[in-house]
Amino acid sequence: MNSSFCLSDFALWLRESMRASTAKFGEAGVPPNQGLPEPNGPASLHFEALAIRLFSLQFQHNPAYRRFCLERGSRPENLSTWREIPAMPTAAFKELEVSCLPPEERTTVFFSSGTSRQPRSRHFHGEESLAIYEASLWPWFRRHCLAQNAAMELLLLTPSEAEAPGSSLVYMLDTVRKNLNQPETVFAGRIEQDGAWTLDFDAVLSALEASATTKRPLFIAGTAFLFMHLLDHLAGLNLRFELPPGSRVMETGGYKGRARALPREELHGSIAERFGIARSQIVREYGMSELSSQAYAVSPGSGRPFFRFPPWARAQIVSPETGQEAGEGEPGLIRVFDLANVYSVMAIQTEDLGVRQADGFELLGRATLAEPRGCSLMSDTNELAELLPG
Amino acid sequence: MNLPNYFLADLPPEASVGPAMLVEACQALKRNRERYLAGRTTQDLIRSLAEVGEAWLRPDYPLRALALEKGPAATGFSRATLAAGLDSFFKELSAERLLALVEQDLGHAHALDEMTRFERGRSAIAIGPEFLVHIAAGNLPNPTLASIVLGLLAKSAQFVKCAAGTSFLPRLFAHSIYEAEPKLGACIEIAQWHGGNQPLEEVLFAEADCVTATGTDETLATIRQYVPIKKRFLGYGHRVSFGFITNRVLSTRHAPKVASQAASDIAAWNQLGCLSPHLLYVQPGGEISPERFAEMLADELERREQTEPRGELPVKAAAVIATRRAFYEVRAAHSPGTRLWHSRNSTAWTVVFEADPRFQVSCLNRFVYVKAVADLAGALHSAAAVQGQVSTVGLAASEEQARELATELAHWGVTRVCQLGRMQQPPLTWRHDGRPALGDLVTWTDWET
Repeated sequence: MNSSFCLSDFALWLRESMRASTAKFGEAGVPPNQGLPEPNGPASLHFEALAIRLFSLQFQHNPAYRRFCLERGSRPENLSTWREIPAMPTAAFKELEVSCLPPEERTTVFFSSGTSRQPRSRHFHGEESLAIYEASLWPWFRRHCLAQNAAMELLLLTPSEAEAPGSSLVYMLDTVRKNLNQPETVFAGRIEQDGAWTLDFDAVLSALEASATTKRPLFIAGTAFLFMHLLDHLAGLNLRFELPPGSRVMETGGYKGRARALPREELHGSIAERFGIARSQIVREYGMSELSSQAYAVSPGSGRPFFRFPPWARAQIVSPETGQEAGEGEPGLIRVFDLANVYSVMAIQTEDLGVRQADGFELLGRATLAEPRGCSLMSDTNELAELLPG
Repeated sequence: MNLPNYFLADLPPEASVGPAMLVEACQALKRNRERYLAGRTTQDLIRSLAEVGEAWLRPDYPLRALALEKGPAATGFSRATLAAGLDSFFKELSAERLLALVEQDLGHAHALDEMTRFERGRSAIAIGPEFLVHIAAGNLPNPTLASIVLGLLAKSAQFVKCAAGTSFLPRLFAHSIYEAEPKLGACIEIAQWHGGNQPLEEVLFAEADCVTATGTDETLATIRQYVPIKKRFLGYGHRVSFGFITNRVLSTRHAPKVASQAASDIAAWNQLGCLSPHLLYVQPGGEISPERFAEMLADELERREQTEPRGELPVKAAAVIATRRAFYEVRAAHSPGTRLWHSRNSTAWTVVFEADPRFQVSCLNRFVYVKAVADLAGALHSAAAVQGQVSTVGLAASEEQARELATELAHWGVTRVCQLGRMQQPPLTWRHDGRPALGDLVTWTDWET
């Protein structure tokens, strides 16, 4: 790398590095949920050097981020470690155009979930950044969510790409579909008038029934909220399924702004029971529109599941009180350094609480009240009550 | 100091309260009231309460010492914050103030004791509920302590249900009453459990003559649903408060005092009460601009942190502050209309200045907004979203202006206007949410002669 190294060189180089470092973990023949080989991590990717290099490129090319850094008094030349790189709050994606791409190169926007009345994050992508997005998501997805050498059919509890072009989750699942050579796929999600997602139960049921007949393993993916809906529906019909061996479930996202939430344990228990699948075959995904890499957690035999990012992204747990990295076992806000966010901002400060576990983290929940703007006082005060002592 | 196990809340946490135990407790309370309280005179009760109030103000009073020693761990408030909050309450608990309350709410000092002549040909007596149940919200202790005082004046047996983990100070107060007069203490019960425990709450509501409840509108709606229709229900919903500072008091000489008053309101009970300001509206045109005032307030909050620290927060509350700060940090970097000041290496205090005057609900724990508005009409226009839900407006204005501003606020629906710096120190005679708190407990019998 020399001084004329630019973002697209970085992007190209990163994609090659990803390919090299992940070549092994798709083909090792190791079932993803047992005895995972250690990913080829820091040493081969030189995370430190790459992060600092990318920071200085983004400082140069991303005006919104540069102003934020300058306000903090941070410049590339006075950083000594990637840990000091200023993390852009996810809320900034709602207010500003946090992008290195000039407007004419932005071909795609990923929005955060939520209804049309709430301000949503916007993450701009161009051709190259989407290529990195795809290169980043696939190996880590394959490693955690796919059975080895098994042809799977897809039941996706989301709308299709054509219906929801602004969803990073849908884009990801569509990429998976393409990489699997377009197997039989059902998109069972529908979009309500206000932008919220619902389910076409008939479509889900026929996909489940078809899988029972063909005995071909099924991959089911969706948000926790829609899974809960589906489970309610199946319980109402008193329906239970035995998914063919090799089937997997991927569940993602929280219940942000929803009236009802189910503890994760209970959700996974119900999924396992209704779909006749072992808990170890249920994978949780942690992703957001502001990132280009995802973390996955698999249910271990014992202990609590924790999330891990691929080698090109790292999560830090930061004490909300001091802004410094939290101690072992101490809960804090999750900060992600995602090298795959080449054309936006690598260092992202989320609003999620977590606690470090080995080389990953456990997710504890969200730390937001309603948005500073736009939500009713009612929900504010009700949520406030939660924060009051006792 | 070890407290005797006298109240249900004194039991170790593992001891659970069951419905049968509760029925028994309610009946004992009613019996005790009949024997020890119903026949007492108001004057006599006032004397006893005033003695308790006086005791709490003495630095060497053992229960006060215990409250300050164990309080920080039990409540999350620092020792200095607790001391200031308790003092403001117990200074009001004097014979003179108690008498003023009875006279204000009931028109006559003896109205609770005997048929009292109100006009020619008509006398009346006020009867308090036999059994009064309080469902306390528990974010801060003073409203609960005040409820207990009102119940004693009304000569009611009382059951105080605190939210889980919040009974510490109400319990100490009940012990102080018990210590002063065991017979009065025998008419009070303090317990705590997680709200919504139906089997227990059904017992209480069945036994009660009157139920008071403090909490979110949602909580109140749920409780109300379970209180039998014939019983009196007094619900106090969550309210918000704000400050209004006119340009006349923002001279270079006077402004530091105003900033100090504002800081007192923000520091008091860590801003967690309904009477604490979420934001301060500041009128431009004085020697000190609204933005400069925000900066002065930040300096003052930093000084307060030295003398009256906020104390530790649960991680979620700290994370909410950190997240909000991050949001305004981004905004401040990109817009001259937003500025942010905050404590270093802690979430102890935060001041956000915004040119945009729209009312903003704070995440509290000493996080305050300062906004510029041309005049009070502008402030009220900007606060339209919270109209009808505002409890207190702390006013910093010249004497000539104050009356007119208070009247304007009254017509807009604000139920309490006070001087800035006194927002969290309502007098005992305060009409809670605009209603006479003691007056609402009693039932009158008119006797036309």
